[in-house]
Amino acid sequence: MTVQFKPAETFRDMFNFKKSPEDILRFPFPFPEDEYMYSVNIEPHVKGGPTAAFQAAFDIDEHYIAECRERERVLKEDPKRCQVLPHMATAEWDTLELIMESLASDYPEHFSLSKAGDVWTWVNRPLGIHQTFTFGKAETLPYGPFEYITRQVQGDFTLQDQRDDMLYVDGGMVTTQADWSFEFNIGMSFMEWHGPVPVAHEAGVFERALKYLMRLQYGQPVRRLNWTMTINPRLDTSPENYPVWGPDRTTVTPENVGDKVHLRVELQTLFRLPRSNAILFGIRCYLAPLNDLVKVPKWRRRLHRVLRGLRPELAEYKGMTRYRQTAVDYLAALDDGAPTSKGIAPEIDKLEG
Amino acid sequence: MSDQGIKSKPTYGKIAGDKAARYQLLLVEGAEIPAEVLAEGVDPSAFETWTVAHASALPAAPMMDEAPGTVRPFRSASHMFSALEERLDRETMGLRFYAVGAEPFLWDAFNIASAAGLSQQEMQFAHVGPKARRIYCVHCRTLMDGVTTSIVTCTGCGAPLFVRDHFSKRLASYMGVQVDAEAPGEVPAAEELYK
Ligand code: HEM
Repeated sequence: MTVQFKPAETFRDMFNFKKSPEDILRFPFPFPEDEYMYSVNIEPHVKGGPTAAFQAAFDIDEHYIAECRERERVLKEDPKRCQVLPHMATAEWDTLELIMESLASDYPEHFSLSKAGDVWTWVNRPLGIHQTFTFGKAETLPYGPFEYITRQVQGDFTLQDQRDDMLYVDGGMVTTQADWSFEFNIGMSFMEWHGPVPVAHEAGVFERALKYLMRLQYGQPVRRLNWTMTINPRLDTSPENYPVWGPDRTTVTPENVGDKVHLRVELQTLFRLPRSNAILFGIRCYLAPLNDLVKVPKWRRRLHRVLRGLRPELAEYKGMTRYRQTAVDYLAALDDGAPTSKGIAPEIDKLEG
Repeated sequence: MSDQGIKSKPTYGKIAGDKAARYQLLLVEGAEIPAEVLAEGVDPSAFETWTVAHASALPAAPMMDEAPGTVRPFRSASHMFSALEERLDRETMGLRFYAVGAEPFLWDAFNIASAAGLSQQEMQFAHVGPKARRIYCVHCRTLMDGVTTSIVTCTGCGAPLFVRDHFSKRLASYMGVQVDAEAPGEVPAAEELYK
């Protein structure tokens, strides 16, 4: 099945964003149970999985072209959303190779890569790109290799250097983030950049996650799901632009809650890179309004129960305090109380309603 | 409000020295080493020490000896930092680097030492002096020194900023985030917290 790209979509201003029924059913719904708490929810990043979003190393969907254009806009406004520290040059090429090879093999109808020694030719049909360059020679590309390739994939990316028994975030392309500042965080250690997260440090989550990541093997990527909520389908919810999007949180009413409030899910992937021994972290962001999610009976029951029971520290951290009750009330009316099965799969092939 | 529970907020100890060090360099943001910053049994005559006199009438090069036990005064912290890069460039393995002073001084020193190739395991920091913070406005990137209150107006973009405990060593700063971004005008009263 080939996706129909929607290049006219926007993730700001008038918010011209709509999910097809297939796009709703492939949503990586993040709750395997009726309650949610932080945990080391890491599993092998292998193809297949509960929805179609887990089919590829780097998932491409119907929003691909529009999201690449949104990234281009953010970078024009704020070029520092992409930075890589000088000692990460090898990791940049590792990233370019991994993403190009994965896209070409997962989506041969859209991307192709051919190599004649070090001279590579990259074709990206949806974006109309045809580029011949020399692997390892940055001057043969219009941007640095990391920026070049991450401009052509959905989702944010960061590069972690591993040294002194620690991971440091020493590079990134961060234009669709859930309220954290890359310019502020660049250079931080794993524990420092997770500093603001409540409860999880005390529960030992970060200590165990870090130990796990330091042993991550080349060729055995892993993934996890993370979530928050965003008002309107806005990709750039950076702290830099908080004065721009913050007021949206006061606009939620019982009448508009289903359209306005979006579940924001990050399909996070972690790859050990071969030459640099760095770790590439992919943060692939998916947005779905409550109105779309409630078309899946299991998801509407579960989302209601998770939001109703969410610990206040987590709700506060995720910025949901102002509109959480409105969302819970809306969902409560749609929860018939029937039991839900474990796992995140929608368990239907066609949407209701 | 005083503990925001943010783990990037640095913690400090005393200068314990390192018996295995080949050489030890201590930077002090003041004219003398405050006795309380040294761990028990540490003898500062083991360190080459740089101090800040906060005075312009120092001879250009009052004391150039580089040896354990020497004390070299500078006119200001900036004056000291301008000499530090060159000093560290001449060092080799086995140097231990210590700094004593207010927070922005410590992390400015840290950044110069990091750029010279030292790792944090080779450094020790002791915090003395005012608790005033350097704030980075996350919206417009203005840096503000000497912030003592829980909320401060950004001198760059005018936003009333909440002073978070989230700290960036690279920027030697805490993050300031607009406190009334969601509901413009709803600004709580500022409290004097960082004196
Ligand atoms: C190594 C790459 C990773 C990077 C660059 C990264 C980065 C971040 C950042 C920037 C935040 C936001 C912190 C803030 O409020 O400023 C965050 C939140 C979080 N991270 Fe990570 N992270 C990584 C890996 C992981 C892993 C492996 C786990 C596994 C447990 C994890 C668990 C979390 C959790 C639970 C939160 C809070 C999310 C929420 O409630 O919205 N992270 N991460």
